[in-house]
Amino acid sequence: MIRKLSGLLLLLAALALPASAFGAEAFKARYITTVYTDDKGVSISQPGGLACTGDTLIVSDSGNDRLLVYGYKNENLTGGKEIKVSQMGYPFKVRRNSKGDLFVPDEKQHRILHLKPDGTFVEFLAPADLPDAQTMDPKGVALDAGDNIYILDIYSGRVVILNPDGKFRRQIEFPKDYGFMSDITVNTRGDILLLDSVKAVIYSAPKDSNTFSPLTKSMKEYMNFPVAMTTDTKGNIYVVDRTGGGIVMLGLDGSFKGRQLRLGWRTDEVYYPTDVCVNENGDMFVADRNNNRVQIYSTENP
Amino acid sequence: MKLLYRILLLTASSAALFLSVPAYAQENVFHLKPGAHGKICLGCHVDIQEKLSKPFVHTPVKIGQCTGCHDPHTSNHPKQLAADTSKICFKCHKDIVPSNARSVHKVAREGKCVNCHDPHASDNKFNLLKSGNDLCFGCHKDMAQKVASVRFKHDPVEKGCINCHSPHASPGAEHLLKNDVPDLCKGCHNINAPIFASKHMGYPVGNAKCILCHNPHGSNRAGMLFDNVHPPVESKMCGQCHESTTSQNPLALKKPVFELCRSCHSNMVDDALGKNQLHWPFYTKGGCLICHTPHASKETNLLNAPMLKLCGKCHSDTIERQEKSVTKHEPIKDGKCMACHAPHASDNLMLFNQTSVINLCGSCHEWQKHSTHPIGPKYTDPRNKNNTLMCLSCHRAHGTPYKTMIPFPTITELCIQCHKEYKR
Repeated sequence: MIRKLSGLLLLLAALALPASAFGAEAFKARYITTVYTDDKGVSISQPGGLACTGDTLIVSDSGNDRLLVYGYKNENLTGGKEIKVSQMGYPFKVRRNSKGDLFVPDEKQHRILHLKPDGTFVEFLAPADLPDAQTMDPKGVALDAGDNIYILDIYSGRVVILNPDGKFRRQIEFPKDYGFMSDITVNTRGDILLLDSVKAVIYSAPKDSNTFSPLTKSMKEYMNFPVAMTTDTKGNIYVVDRTGGGIVMLGLDGSFKGRQLRLGWRTDEVYYPTDVCVNENGDMFVADRNNNRVQIYSTENP
Repeated sequence: MKLLYRILLLTASSAALFLSVPAYAQENVFHLKPGAHGKICLGCHVDIQEKLSKPFVHTPVKIGQCTGCHDPHTSNHPKQLAADTSKICFKCHKDIVPSNARSVHKVAREGKCVNCHDPHASDNKFNLLKSGNDLCFGCHKDMAQKVASVRFKHDPVEKGCINCHSPHASPGAEHLLKNDVPDLCKGCHNINAPIFASKHMGYPVGNAKCILCHNPHGSNRAGMLFDNVHPPVESKMCGQCHESTTSQNPLALKKPVFELCRSCHSNMVDDALGKNQLHWPFYTKGGCLICHTPHASKETNLLNAPMLKLCGKCHSDTIERQEKSVTKHEPIKDGKCMACHAPHASDNLMLFNQTSVINLCGSCHEWQKHSTHPIGPKYTDPRNKNNTLMCLSCHRAHGTPYKTMIPFPTITELCIQCHKEYKR
């Protein structure tokens, strides 16, 4: 009996080995559909950023100075309602908190708009107690599960952390010797992640920590010029390679898990993508900027 | 056991002795007749005999040890050398390139010693092929031209490159310099002399990097400043940016860099900040100095490096793509990134300096604006209904591994992307 059991275990181990050895290839993206227009048939132009949930997709339609809100469930896309407010100049990203409020970094105005879920303008984020507030240049914004707000301020080389009401809590300096920080995100553990495009490195600061340290080595063997990232519910990190035209997936610990998509113009390809969002169902949305469209894929990962 | 120990000891000491003797001095490896040595070789190689009369003769040649470098019977190397041409000199001249050198002359690293030295004999010290700067200028032709043409010449350059540079390698400095700047400069220039202070408007720059402003090889500007000088420097108005000479820290800036630059260049900055697409490093605390140098530069617009190198510091992947490209795009090859891109900001994607990509490409490729595949706003890209056909529908401006910068190995593969009916 024991001998049979040992044999079975050995067989299982032998079968499991290839799966773990080729784990790096386990990330797969299956093309589902493409978003070309709003609900009135107007074409999307230069989409810069995305926000998503299990049933919603929000697109910053940067070239048309507006946001678009779509329903997305069971691989069906609906809607495409426009949100356009006079305060919006060139919305290049969009993020959404748990209440549906939208936070929109504006490249033309160098400020972040706060909108209600229906698109009503609330305010420009301008925390009163923030040191050197007049020169803040927000390159990105992220939200954690508790709706705290994290601003990537590239002018002063810091991450500014606000509470859900937009009041200043604290700030963290960028790590020493960074190249250029392009994006920020917060994973399900509350770790803050920074993406350095020039060095192709991700830095992390654990929740409540005041310093960043490298999570990855240089990832230049996997990507050309990373510009954006997001995380999924398991903590996997998805990095957008703009000039290489692809999405690279990393584990929670920064280990390489795989690369998907291809540079091009055809239906399932991307051309200079600028943002990615993955919802709780594993649907992956890619802002395919130079193709003026949004691509939707389903993902499988280990 | 004792015998084995003695044999081992003997072998080790013989090996040590063998290694300690210069290669050329290894006695009679080829069992030549007593007194033969190089005399046998010179019987045929009469040209070498003539060389022996020159004032500087390579030691192995002088003592007739031709076999120090050559194998008299057979060899796998040119000139019947006893080892690879790039390695044979290092058999004796082991320390010529120290392993910890901060900078190494490319020819020395590659073992191309004969580019500068005659291995047999020469009229010049160290068996050099030419004397003085003539030797260096044989390769560094651009430098020769500049040094000869500049109005204000640097005396040590005139007298010899090796006044400042080590010919093989420098253990302590970049660019083969004998010492780091400013210590090298201070070897001649007395920073405590009154004239030094008056020339620098009383600012304590004695320990600053001289080559941030001065061209050590000479210049057409007084004070040997680089050709392009920031107007406040030219008009000696250092106080426009720096604290006064009487302050505690006179070299400190009056404001953070970006704000300081903006106080004069406000129109340009405001214009850039109002565009849709910003070159993000522009709007950072140290922003301007990421690309510009504040005092003087040999590059136009006070850039702190040639454009290809400067842009490549961040966009190395794009520059590499061009380098690997079969077809070279002229503006990139020539380092003219600004031929297509606005360096600060633009309302156009990719920071293009024109709204229409067709017009942008057409500014050089005029003929192809009207005599080519249908392109322009009237023609939708069959692969993507949100795109219209333009130059970048078929080409990548920074190059591809394929001819004419197309993204596919063959033209057929490119065409059948849209013209599917011709797919075989």
